Amino acid sequence: MADAETGAGVEAGERDLTMSRAMVEAIETEMRSDEDVFVMGEDVADYGGIFDSTEGLLEEFGRERVMDVPISETSFVGAGVGAAQQGMRPIVELMFADFFGVCMDQIYNQMAKNTYMSGGGVSVPMVLMTAVGGTYSDAAQHSQTLYGTFAHLPGMKVVVPSTAYDAKGLMHNAVRDDDPVVYMFHKRLMGLGWMPAPEGPKTAVPEDEYTISFGSADVKREGSDATVVTLGLHVHRALDAAESLAEDGVDAEVIDLRTLVPLDEETILDSVAKTGRLVVVDEDYRSFGVTGEIIARAAESSLGDLEAVERVAVPDVPIPYARELERAVLPGAEDVEAAVRSAIDE
Amino acid sequence: MSEMAGDRVAVDSGDVWPADADDIAEGYVATWFAREGAAVEAGETLCEIQIEKVGVDVPAPVEGRLAEIVAPEDAEFERGDVLAWIEPG
Repeated sequence: MADAETGAGVEAGERDLTMSRAMVEAIETEMRSDEDVFVMGEDVADYGGIFDSTEGLLEEFGRERVMDVPISETSFVGAGVGAAQQGMRPIVELMFADFFGVCMDQIYNQMAKNTYMSGGGVSVPMVLMTAVGGTYSDAAQHSQTLYGTFAHLPGMKVVVPSTAYDAKGLMHNAVRDDDPVVYMFHKRLMGLGWMPAPEGPKTAVPEDEYTISFGSADVKREGSDATVVTLGLHVHRALDAAESLAEDGVDAEVIDLRTLVPLDEETILDSVAKTGRLVVVDEDYRSFGVTGEIIARAAESSLGDLEAVERVAVPDVPIPYARELERAVLPGAEDVEAAVRSAIDE
Repeated sequence: MSEMAGDRVAVDSGDVWPADADDIAEGYVATWFAREGAAVEAGETLCEIQIEKVGVDVPAPVEGRLAEIVAPEDAEFERGDVLAWIEPG
């Protein structure tokens, strides 16, 4: 099996997939090869996941291995932790990341810590898959990304794909990992008929399986004037901004983190050494989150390289329902563009 | 049934129309998975269309080459319109 960290060794065919179908392809491949892999969550069976993350699995694998559960996140996330400790490999879907609050103890204190608390006596090879992000007027309790909330606490790996190609390779790696992985997919990237994705997440996807190692950020666009570090939906918005900047002769590099834990510091620092200007773009809240963390790490390791830093994130307000207000608080390509210009003018 | 024109076989939107959508006349192309020029197998999913907000996968009627996409992504079409043409082979 190929490791597609750089895309080398895997021939992309003539077939494109949406991000949701790429995720499902990885899950079904893992389920075929390992009977311990199963899926559990709200509306994952008959409905196929409300964002199509489990579409079609019930038909092939049946209700023993694709289980709809009652609306009790504490019980089903906890059941996943227990199954994982007993040697199975559950993929548990938390329908919206926003719902983590009702099962916070199971995630933060059990899933993330049981390996540590048992002195390595048990491991928790579980994938907690969850939908994140706004852009579709679903208001403050169904639109958050909460990347910082999950990446903050030790014990969980945190994966955020931005393309179909990455989504498949990262999912294979997530299921095979012996520790808990939180797999956060952005709804707007899934390629749903009722929520059209932007250009970009639909990519060529090899039919063969491949893994993408955690902690390997991907330079989605090379540039020499400024480094834009981002993830998820905002990879595509940053690429749009970079294209627009290029018309004015400004050459921005766009780094897709792909995983927050582990974090690929080296790729960020190498880029900053080249450009001197660091712009971090996040769909999560501005305070105590990804933007501050990335800039702090760059400052700790490469202060001398930094000529300017900027962060683009959601101002510290709940995400509004009203379409225009939501658009105003979620970073757009024009906000990224303005931040890059500002960093260069500093 | 598949319409033929010259050597080409139509990918006919009417062939996949859901039985419970008989009163609906229009659809919308959500996603193409196969690119123009690609080799396709019979039954392979070529694209997803939406009929009254329900997603329907459209399979290739025959093995061959996807010669032409008639209805691209975001296009609206009428029931029975040709979505694409395949050169069998």
